[in-house]
Amino acid sequence: MKKSAFWLLSLLLVMSVFLAACSGGGEKASTEKEPKDDGKASGEVKEGGTVTFGYTQPFKGVLSYAYYEGEDDVNALQFMHEGLVKTNDELQPEPNLADWELSEDKTKLTFKLKQGVKWHDGEELAAEDMEYAWYLIADPTYEGARFANVAMIKGAQEYKDGKADTIEGIKVIDDYTVEVTVTEPSVNLLDNIWSIPEPKHYYGDLTSKEIPDSDQVRKNPIGVGPFKVKNIVPGEMVEFERFDDYWQGKPKLDGVVYKVIDGSLAQGLVQNGEIDVIEAPKDQWEAIKALDNVNPVEADAMSYSYIGFDWGHYDTKKGVVVSDNKKFQNKNLRHAMAHAIDRQAFIDGFANGLGKPLNTPFPSVSWAKIDDSEINQYEYDPEKAKKLLEEAGFVDKDGDGFREDPEGKPFTINFDAMAGAETSEARAQFILQSWQEVGLNAKLNGGSLKDFNLFYDSIEADDSSIETFMGAWGLSPDPDPSGIWLSTDKWNMWRWYSEKSDELIKKGVTFPEDASKDVTEHRQEIYNEWQKLVNDELPIIFFEQRIDPWAINKRVGGVKITPFGTDEFHKWHIVE
Amino acid sequence: MLQYTIRRLIGMIPIIFLISVVVFTLAKLMPGDALSGKIDPLNSDPEYIEEMREKMGLNDPIPVQYVRWMGGVVQGDFGDSFVHKRPVMELIGDRLPNTIILGLSALLITYLLAFLMGRYSGRFAYSFGDYLVSGFNYLALAIPSFVAALVAIYVFAINLGWVPASGSIGSGVEAGTLEYYLSKAKHTVLPAIVLGAMATAAYTQFLRNDMIESSRKDYVRTARAKGTKESAIYNKHILRNSIIPIVTLLGFDIANLFGGAIITETIFTYPGIGYLFVESVNARDYSVMMAIAMMLTILTLIGNLVADLLYGLVDPRIRLS
Repeated sequence: MKKSAFWLLSLLLVMSVFLAACSGGGEKASTEKEPKDDGKASGEVKEGGTVTFGYTQPFKGVLSYAYYEGEDDVNALQFMHEGLVKTNDELQPEPNLADWELSEDKTKLTFKLKQGVKWHDGEELAAEDMEYAWYLIADPTYEGARFANVAMIKGAQEYKDGKADTIEGIKVIDDYTVEVTVTEPSVNLLDNIWSIPEPKHYYGDLTSKEIPDSDQVRKNPIGVGPFKVKNIVPGEMVEFERFDDYWQGKPKLDGVVYKVIDGSLAQGLVQNGEIDVIEAPKDQWEAIKALDNVNPVEADAMSYSYIGFDWGHYDTKKGVVVSDNKKFQNKNLRHAMAHAIDRQAFIDGFANGLGKPLNTPFPSVSWAKIDDSEINQYEYDPEKAKKLLEEAGFVDKDGDGFREDPEGKPFTINFDAMAGAETSEARAQFILQSWQEVGLNAKLNGGSLKDFNLFYDSIEADDSSIETFMGAWGLSPDPDPSGIWLSTDKWNMWRWYSEKSDELIKKGVTFPEDASKDVTEHRQEIYNEWQKLVNDELPIIFFEQRIDPWAINKRVGGVKITPFGTDEFHKWHIVE
Repeated sequence: MLQYTIRRLIGMIPIIFLISVVVFTLAKLMPGDALSGKIDPLNSDPEYIEEMREKMGLNDPIPVQYVRWMGGVVQGDFGDSFVHKRPVMELIGDRLPNTIILGLSALLITYLLAFLMGRYSGRFAYSFGDYLVSGFNYLALAIPSFVAALVAIYVFAINLGWVPASGSIGSGVEAGTLEYYLSKAKHTVLPAIVLGAMATAAYTQFLRNDMIESSRKDYVRTARAKGTKESAIYNKHILRNSIIPIVTLLGFDIANLFGGAIITETIFTYPGIGYLFVESVNARDYSVMMAIAMMLTILTLIGNLVADLLYGLVDPRIRLS
């Protein structure tokens, strides 16, 4: 008996770690922003040495960018491989292994590879490797999730459907030049198109289906990055050693160890030096930050949490959301519910201050974020919330302490949130109480929190009991809101339909009519308008943007922290 | 005995079948599947998820899915892990050695401690030492293993630094060298102690009670009357008889050995079966989850059979028919 009871309990503990790890949600590509370099610490740069990078989830061992699924594998991949393009500090694409050129009509993209970039086995990186990666992903037997990143290439869909033997839009010109033709021009083509090569010579005759389970990926994966794989202990550890022929010069460290640990031990392991670099669990941040041997770095993340209102359902046949739920159509009601919550107190109380309230779906690190002075800040103001509710006709008529709706019928609000973290229950209660304070009868839907899977299953299935829910999104560097915000998007979880918003989102990825106008400026204007719209309409309450806490041992320098993780691995070094 | 064994083995088939239905149903009753966590507009789109669900047959009627799964299981094929992208049997095969090493070391520790403590308690029943032993046993039984694991790690790994806190092997050691085995042992010792030392209660008390009972038996009185030394009575006559039931418990431990320790493995990041199981439940990686559950079921059944057979072997008074 003993075992099963504690089993549940500790499953909860495990889950909390799991959720904490995945609540960021987004893809951690090797991109960067805000050079919060801690490496300026005093002391001499020492050649050699090994650094241990910790992570709190076991990795699956699919060590290929084209096939990996989770952050657990990408954390290992980041040390060993790179793409043609990277994201710079302004979250814009920047040449890495290749320069590019876009044709006049914006449909032909030519990558010009740097010469002398070597794979870990000594072969030189060739244009064929890039072509090969596109073919792998568009292959009919491909089972990964990246097809959306090659779908824009002309002929990719036909190849995937088996209607063509080759992809029409790909042309290898010489060993260092490859040209792709896309189906239609798009401003964020470089952000979206797949640009990470795969070693064609190394995978040999393997089919796209066989690759993820092959020894070439699981036991001896290769890349062009600063460190090469020396040893893999499945699910537990990957040891890397320096790759002397790295194209940006010999890395400073002898090696890196990527090690999986249990989240509950993070503080102790950082303290005794078993782990040098780790994204710290937020609930231990106070203690870890205070350790003598740690450089604490807090980096704004490209993710935010929100409270969604249920606007209706998704019409699967037509492929569009239908905002037919009358409950939250009143704008004053939505505004009042936002004003009722003290988001800063929530962040301070539950996340050790690791977050900031936000009021549009763009975190402050995004270049497209509108200036705060131009939008409603929805500051905590219960009196204002009450006033807004009165105006909207939500008055307590029967004296039970809760407001009735304008027709005088009882008005209740169901709220849903994910279970898992120790503080999940308290977080939910905080929000319920905030709404109750202003006279709204809010309660937990079904009386309890939902587990991660059930939560998203219920929302995606448009379960009728779902009325408000707290979710989160991780974002890519490009600000294009489609995928979540268009009325045709299945992940428009709140089912908000707005022609104006759709129109702006679509306009945001077009080139300016006046060709001399800067594309970024043009998009900024459109996104400002869009942000003003969603900020005022408030289809969801924008809650907080996250801050990722990183603990870096003081003996390690040169570690660059970005909104997506760590970067510039070849510059990492030991400080004496 | 052979006939008995065959009869028991045949009797297992309907049980395994029924359990497979239960395991499958419970797995399917869990909300979500391996794809429901993939809501991420950056690297997967709804069409991909739909397509994969279709490909994996998750949209088929449940009975069809069951028959397909069972069809594979009968042939020893538990399917592929969606999360790990490889056959389930390979995955389990990778983790099994770790779990067995840990399980065996823990079992050894349990038996050794239980034998010593049980012998002492049985001989000096109702003494201060006996109470001390049972006090320790019940305390160990009462402490949840994750608390024990965390405290042990904090004290021995982090503060004292005697052993590493997590993992099953250190970095920078080459497989096959002496250093490798030492590193392996160093990584295993703490979780093994946590697992083994906390589970002594049943065995100790079993041995103790049996010894107390035996000490009142006629043959013991006879031995005493003959003037046999007290230590010889306990060590030769009583202990030998009392150890018989303990030996049979070995059969029941088989499933434990392979099943791994879910909590301990997770906290120590010790990549064994238990850790894999938790991971698969969280990721809704059904094929792995069901394979482990089925494996444990079958091992438990076999373990029971072995226990019964051992009983018949060591104790001639019991006849199997």
